[in-house]
Amino acid sequence: MALDQIRNFCIIAHIDHGKSTLADRLIQRCGGVSDREFRDQILDSMDLERERGITIKSNTVSLHYKAKDGRDYLLNLIDTPGHVDFSHEVRRSLMSSDGALILVDAAQGVEAQTVANLYLAMEHNLTLLPVINKIDLPAADIERVQEEIDTDLGLDGLEAIPVSAKLGQGIDELLEAIIERLPPPTGDPGAPLQALIFDAQYDAYRGVILYCRIKQGTVKPGQTIRLMHTEKEYEVEEVGLLQLKRVKQEELSAGAVGYLIANIKAVHDIAIGDTVTHKDNPAPKPLPGYKEAKPVVFSSIYPMSTDEYEDLTKALEKLTLNDPALTYQKDSSAALGFGFRCGFLGLLHLDVIQERLQREYDLSLLLSAPSVQYRITTEKEGLLMVDNPSRFPDPMHIIKSEEPFIKASVMMPERYLGAVMELCRERRGVNTAFNYLAVGRVELTSELPLAEVLFDFYDRLKTVTQGYGSFDYEMLDYRETQIVKVDILVNGESVDALSQVVHVDNARPRALHYCERLAETIPKQQFKIAIQGAIGGQIIARTTINAFRKDVTAKCYGGDITRKRKLLEKQKEGKKRMKMVGAVEIPQSAFVAVLKTDES
Amino acid sequence: MNPDRSSESNKPGLYVHIPFCSSICPYCDFAVLTGNRSRQERFVSHLLREIELADDHGGHHGHRGKMRGFDTVYFGGGTPSFLYAEGLSEIVSAISKKGWLDTGCRWFLEANPEDVTLSSLSVWQELGIRTLSLGVQSLDDEALPWLGRHHTVDDVHRSVGRVREAGFQSLSLDLIYGRPGQELADWRKELETAVALEPDHLSCYQLTIHDRTLFGRRQREGEVMEASEDRQAELFRLTHEFLAAAGYEGYEVSNFARSVAHRSHHNQKYWYHTPYLGLGPSAHSFDGRSRFWNEGSLFDWQKKIDDGESGVEGRETLSDEELLLEAVMLRMRTKDGLDLAWIRDNFDIDFLKLNEDVVAKLSADGLLELDENWLRPTLDGLAVADRLAVAFNIGTAVK
Repeated sequence: MALDQIRNFCIIAHIDHGKSTLADRLIQRCGGVSDREFRDQILDSMDLERERGITIKSNTVSLHYKAKDGRDYLLNLIDTPGHVDFSHEVRRSLMSSDGALILVDAAQGVEAQTVANLYLAMEHNLTLLPVINKIDLPAADIERVQEEIDTDLGLDGLEAIPVSAKLGQGIDELLEAIIERLPPPTGDPGAPLQALIFDAQYDAYRGVILYCRIKQGTVKPGQTIRLMHTEKEYEVEEVGLLQLKRVKQEELSAGAVGYLIANIKAVHDIAIGDTVTHKDNPAPKPLPGYKEAKPVVFSSIYPMSTDEYEDLTKALEKLTLNDPALTYQKDSSAALGFGFRCGFLGLLHLDVIQERLQREYDLSLLLSAPSVQYRITTEKEGLLMVDNPSRFPDPMHIIKSEEPFIKASVMMPERYLGAVMELCRERRGVNTAFNYLAVGRVELTSELPLAEVLFDFYDRLKTVTQGYGSFDYEMLDYRETQIVKVDILVNGESVDALSQVVHVDNARPRALHYCERLAETIPKQQFKIAIQGAIGGQIIARTTINAFRKDVTAKCYGGDITRKRKLLEKQKEGKKRMKMVGAVEIPQSAFVAVLKTDES
Repeated sequence: MNPDRSSESNKPGLYVHIPFCSSICPYCDFAVLTGNRSRQERFVSHLLREIELADDHGGHHGHRGKMRGFDTVYFGGGTPSFLYAEGLSEIVSAISKKGWLDTGCRWFLEANPEDVTLSSLSVWQELGIRTLSLGVQSLDDEALPWLGRHHTVDDVHRSVGRVREAGFQSLSLDLIYGRPGQELADWRKELETAVALEPDHLSCYQLTIHDRTLFGRRQREGEVMEASEDRQAELFRLTHEFLAAAGYEGYEVSNFARSVAHRSHHNQKYWYHTPYLGLGPSAHSFDGRSRFWNEGSLFDWQKKIDDGESGVEGRETLSDEELLLEAVMLRMRTKDGLDLAWIRDNFDIDFLKLNEDVVAKLSADGLLELDENWLRPTLDGLAVADRLAVAFNIGTAVK
């Protein structure tokens, strides 16, 4: 097929603006799938994605479309995840596309992620086509959204295509606009091969399936390819197009989007964003924009019961087959036993992994408070990257500590500006600035420590903006900071799983919060229990649990004895599941209660 | 077995459950009903049938054992004093005729103060009842109606006077403490009044809120129905200390006796795994290894009897481990405590060795004392007896 009959595009949108529904409609209209096969939101393949209505793992589909000009076109729709944690995946999808549909909800208007992704798309020189979705909603205000597209996005609002993906309205007009207004790919099939790996999926029978956009050259089975960043070589077994299932082709050449199978054993052997070239006739340099997906949020995961440790190990192995951004290594806690220190791309990523482990692998888990990775310069060991409180060096030897900062962007109706500025100030935000977008709407940017966003920032933002604020961020840099390690002591014994590295200003409130939660959830025991928060030897917070003074049934005669014995057997069983910290029994529920507040 | 338990016998006891009350107290979760004469008569005829057949019942729940030589017969409830006099006489004579009883058998009856009249006292005396347990519950005229009781403190004085005049051997009073907001001084006053009545025995129960009671419902609806835990602990301590000073030894969590001879001979059987036979709805039996329980509802129990069966609804046979766990749980409620020699002889385990750390810790916490071969809870220990029971390792007791 000639290059001018191909369009490679993606859809970018804020979460919930209907991206997946629109994709479904396009697929249906082009007959990309039979009705029997059709399931709503076909691109969201994981149960979890379907349930949450978000796309985590991108999918790609090639559609055949006969346009009004009578010619056949191949439309490669490259799906993108809609959440900020997955911006590296968004980036890859953008790099594989030549154009992008900017989807805006007719009732909600332009939101923070729309803008963030728009900038990303502009970085990659994509041609942009604004689309206004959900025009069927009673609250739809097309004129206002056109104005927002004009002011906030700098695109021509009048050129936006109004659609209702739900009802299928405007889909034909949109398909025609894709042909007319998005550019065809460019490239030379005869040039040295340059193919961008924008995604990969693990298949139990075929190994790793690479999803590629061929920028230059041609690739076919039997050739030996070379991955330019990882410097590994493989023999191509099969190439083809993605039409919901894999459709084998003889070759893929410049402009094509498709898959490549080359007997690659594990996702860890490759890097998304890498460039595929030929061993014999290599391209002079890889495609630009390669960036390793690095975890920024860390948490230790422990199985509730120690006999689930093996299952957890297997589950993590399986998850990383398809999710190279998830990292894990063995960790252990005196209180909670063996577990794993895991790295995530963000809080949502953490949340998704936790839910998949619990749901798909039926594991009961305990997660430690999420932490960022600190850069600590010490006298003895030089520069240390510390993401686990247990690795925190002796404060005596710390020369300098640095923590990651993000650039946060919040879009909201202007009446919430004051509250959000206050929230950013509370969270140690600097260089906070705002600019007016369309009438009554403001975009606020602030440079915030990532650690501050991990602790109930989303919740607070939602509360202060009554749900109208949308949030996006990008990683900035490391900045000097003052951090301390806060330990929680139960009757003088440190509970390692509850230690945290926090900014010095947060140490006391955070420690008090933990102490209070523990005091509420640890049952009274025969002796008084002191719960303390401490920095080194200095106590900064304290609560106590009074000793049990009365715990005896008043009556115990004939009929009470069996009942009472059974209760006792139950208590004895429960006692086995208690975690011992020194002489104090701490039920698992106490850890859950304490740690949960930090996840939300 | 126990040098301190000279009063205790190893002979079995007989319990008869009379499920009727004049009205149902808002804190009570026992198997009780109000009942008119005809309902009571129906019950009596079924009970007579159960007595008649008690030796023959094997059935699918197995045999309750042919217990013989009961040295206690205890009428509990409910309110046995509320049962019509002829009914009670018929039951007593049916039991007497069975040839079940030991020669020194003692008869006990629970009575409400308002039921203690000259005529009822003479009936009970004639039937051979020598010990009465009065459901006084409170000696505070303001508290009595809150507890759903229909008598006054004056009624109690009058009843006790009559009981004494009638020459009963032994008198016990039941009291309840731990009402919401109850002050130590208030309770001390009630205890003073109680001691002035010179009973031989006292049962002082902490108010317990059960789910399926009126108080339980009020609590669920948010009303405070009992004293705070700290106050309960103080009231508990006051009860034991005050009564000890007045010459009443707290030999169990809630029970106090003027002397060892006045301890409740019948109730102690429950705490020392002495066999007992229970008759009437919801009554429990124990033959030394198995426990049986009768149908809890009057209707179901009567139906079983009508069908020619025993009134038994279920049974369990205790493993050594369960028996030992129960023993530990029950002995930790008694002042005498746990007889380690008895455990060694019956379960072939060295309990002390198995619990070296536990005993050391509980002793250090002031909850337990090791005295020769006895593990005794201290007063603080009695107050948290349920915790003590959980703390011990039972091990896999193998005989």
